[in-house]
Amino acid sequence: MADKMLLNVSPHLHKKNETISRAMRDVLIALTPAAIWAMVVFGFNVVLIIAVSCATAALTEFVMRKILRRKVTLGDYSAMVTGVLFAFLLPPTTPLWVVAIGAFIAIAVFKELFGGLGKNIFNPAITARLLLWITPLAIYTTKFVRPFYWRDSGFFTPIATSISNGVTTFKTLAGNVSADVVVHATPLSLLKSGRWGVSAVTGPTPVGATWTTSSGRPSLGSLFLGLKSGSIGEISVLLLLLGGLYLIWRGTIDWRIPTAIIGSFLVLNLIAWNQPFYNLFSGGLFLGAFFMATDWVTSPVTRRGKWIYGIGIGVTIFLIRFVYIWPEGVAVSIFIWNILTLAIDRYIAVPKFGEVGTTVFNKLPVLPGPAPQPAKKEA
Amino acid sequence: MSGKTAYKTFKGGIHPPYNKELARESAITPCPVPAEVLIPLTQHIGAPNEPLVAAGDRVEVGQKIGGSEAFVSAPVHSSVAGTVKGIKEITGFTGAKVKVVAITPDAEQPDFAKQPGKDVDSYSDEEVRAIAREAGLVGMGGAAFPTHVKLAPPKDKPVDMVIINACECEPFLTCDHRLMLERPTDLVHGLKLLLKAVGARKGIIGVEANKMDAVEAVRAAAQGETDITVEILDVKYPEGAEKMLIFALTRRKVPPGKLPSEVGCVVQNVGTAVALYEAASWGKPLYERVITVSGPGIKEPGNLLVRIGTPMSALIDACGGLQGEPGKVIMGGPMTGWAQPDTATPVVKGTSGVLAFTADLIDVADEHECVRCGKCIDACPMFLQPNFIVQAVKKELWDKAEMWGAMDCFECGCCSFTCPAYIPHVTYVREAKADIAALKKR
Ligand code: SF4
Ligand code: SF4
Repeated sequence: MADKMLLNVSPHLHKKNETISRAMRDVLIALTPAAIWAMVVFGFNVVLIIAVSCATAALTEFVMRKILRRKVTLGDYSAMVTGVLFAFLLPPTTPLWVVAIGAFIAIAVFKELFGGLGKNIFNPAITARLLLWITPLAIYTTKFVRPFYWRDSGFFTPIATSISNGVTTFKTLAGNVSADVVVHATPLSLLKSGRWGVSAVTGPTPVGATWTTSSGRPSLGSLFLGLKSGSIGEISVLLLLLGGLYLIWRGTIDWRIPTAIIGSFLVLNLIAWNQPFYNLFSGGLFLGAFFMATDWVTSPVTRRGKWIYGIGIGVTIFLIRFVYIWPEGVAVSIFIWNILTLAIDRYIAVPKFGEVGTTVFNKLPVLPGPAPQPAKKEA
Repeated sequence: MSGKTAYKTFKGGIHPPYNKELARESAITPCPVPAEVLIPLTQHIGAPNEPLVAAGDRVEVGQKIGGSEAFVSAPVHSSVAGTVKGIKEITGFTGAKVKVVAITPDAEQPDFAKQPGKDVDSYSDEEVRAIAREAGLVGMGGAAFPTHVKLAPPKDKPVDMVIINACECEPFLTCDHRLMLERPTDLVHGLKLLLKAVGARKGIIGVEANKMDAVEAVRAAAQGETDITVEILDVKYPEGAEKMLIFALTRRKVPPGKLPSEVGCVVQNVGTAVALYEAASWGKPLYERVITVSGPGIKEPGNLLVRIGTPMSALIDACGGLQGEPGKVIMGGPMTGWAQPDTATPVVKGTSGVLAFTADLIDVADEHECVRCGKCIDACPMFLQPNFIVQAVKKELWDKAEMWGAMDCFECGCCSFTCPAYIPHVTYVREAKADIAALKKR
């Protein structure tokens, strides 16, 4: 009998279903409604983009781990999550080969080369997205279409195909279309340019008069429900919120981070009285707050740290949108605070139970040269 | 998630599956005397005992067979009448070698001859401490700290409160629950002796809300005792950890590295209080205790009155034997107990449970890289940072391990319980503690 008995150290119980793959599966489940909605609004391309992104991510992870002689852990679904999130950050006009390049970079460089799940210091999806932004490929990943464009072009959204003289050509199944017909401003770029009128928007009016206000911009309600142009995954605030609440209810993500981001962002907007709710519901704020900033690996581990991190992101998004020029800023803010996460974890102290006084910063132990070693344990 | 906090509690902690129903209804029954008892000479934290008997000696029930002059120590008594076979070394429940007195019990075991002591009210504090020491009392919740030492707090730290730890927050265990149901009056008398010993005015019996029948029983027994109250606590693990319990009941916080006497409290286990009463009023030393035998691998889970030194196998046999595909046997509770290689290990004063898990209950996985979810930090009742302790230990940075709290960890296991990466933090913490201690000695 002796050899059958398992001998290990306490505790002898483990929380049921508390595994990495369970959590990742939850994230995928939480993202599904938003993905389906994106398909309804933007057409079948969304499916292709997500599929290519996931497949590339999974394949890349498999190959990288083989090359680096690590155990292949596709079963934890983390590559899939990165794949979906990366796709969510792209406009529906993105050509599939660009999607594949981005997903490859996300996994190969920002995940596996950093050491794999747990060691990566940046959120792979976000970092890959930012990288695309600063390369010439950006032209393929910054063209948005108006909702339900596919009603005119067949169930496939136009894809940005070639650029000459700075003019992007778009292709649908029915043939080439000119940029004028396709490209459409996102609510945020409308807001940023200060041009609300229909005429300011290139291309046909983004109507269905039901969801725009008389001034031509999408109504608050349509922003909330997701009738707007934008990246694939960011359009429906309602569905993202539901997904996020599901994750909080499941205990997968911590409520503090989204609360801190959305709260601080809203408060600053209220103070500045800068179209507060319009701003809140535009762009990738909810996607970022619930699904990107809450990434376990790249956010602080302590509750205090999570508040600091969340508020930091909210404030940074505000600054980027209003003090600087970019209409967006969610991805950049999260990226910046990914870097600061290590410092937060290291220096922000958590007083132990019963510790008196409020310690705010950790005093790091001084390490003169190599750390002292205990005497070799004699047998 | 934010639960409804109806009762007193602390921050952090976890909700493991409790599985108390397996054994809670079964009354305490005596465990048959085995063919041989192996009584460890040292069963407490502190100075080791010297044997007082040799091979061939006859011993009576309750006869002292091991003792030490040191203050932090507790003598050991024979749990049977019989013949000493010898003193040998075996592997104890922690895996370390221990010296045991092997005794062959007589076929007929006489009942313990009660020597009527004084009325419990008439003892002086000195006398209670002396009784506690002579009876070999130790904390029976698992840590096995000598009771008389706890009852002699430093002079400059007056104790105003004695707390009976009746939480029994470890899953599966029901022995304290049964004691409260079956012997509430003895518990109250035990508490009065404890109050006497430290000169405290207030005694609290803290019970988790999943034992309301015990609350009623003890409340009834304590009727008329103005300085004793029974408080109900939230059902949460580790509600019964000394510092958590004190905080939940009194909002006093024991500082890191300090003892409960720092905030004027002494905490004792239910079993210890009852044993103190027995020692004071019957002259009975601690040679037997109530142990829960439970788990899905046990046919008829129950609560047994077991003589110290009985091998686990005898307890399991008394409960109908094992069933199902064997997976693990544990001495103690599932959160802090020790897995045993086989069932020959003898039970000691600190043993509260003998559990058998079937293979399907065992949830182990390969250790993954920490994914920094922070769940271990949220769960840690000491507000430590277990994930960073583990990292520091891996890099052998002992001062960092200490900074993140390795020395303040009391190994409750909440962190490992919740870790999606299946990191065995407690293993690393133990290593850190041993190495930091070794460093400090130099
Ligand atoms: S670090 Fe220690 S005290 Fe904290 S949860 Fe883990 S085992 Fe318990
Ligand atoms: S619970 Fe496990 S994975 Fe999560 S932070 Fe702690 S050690 Fe890391």
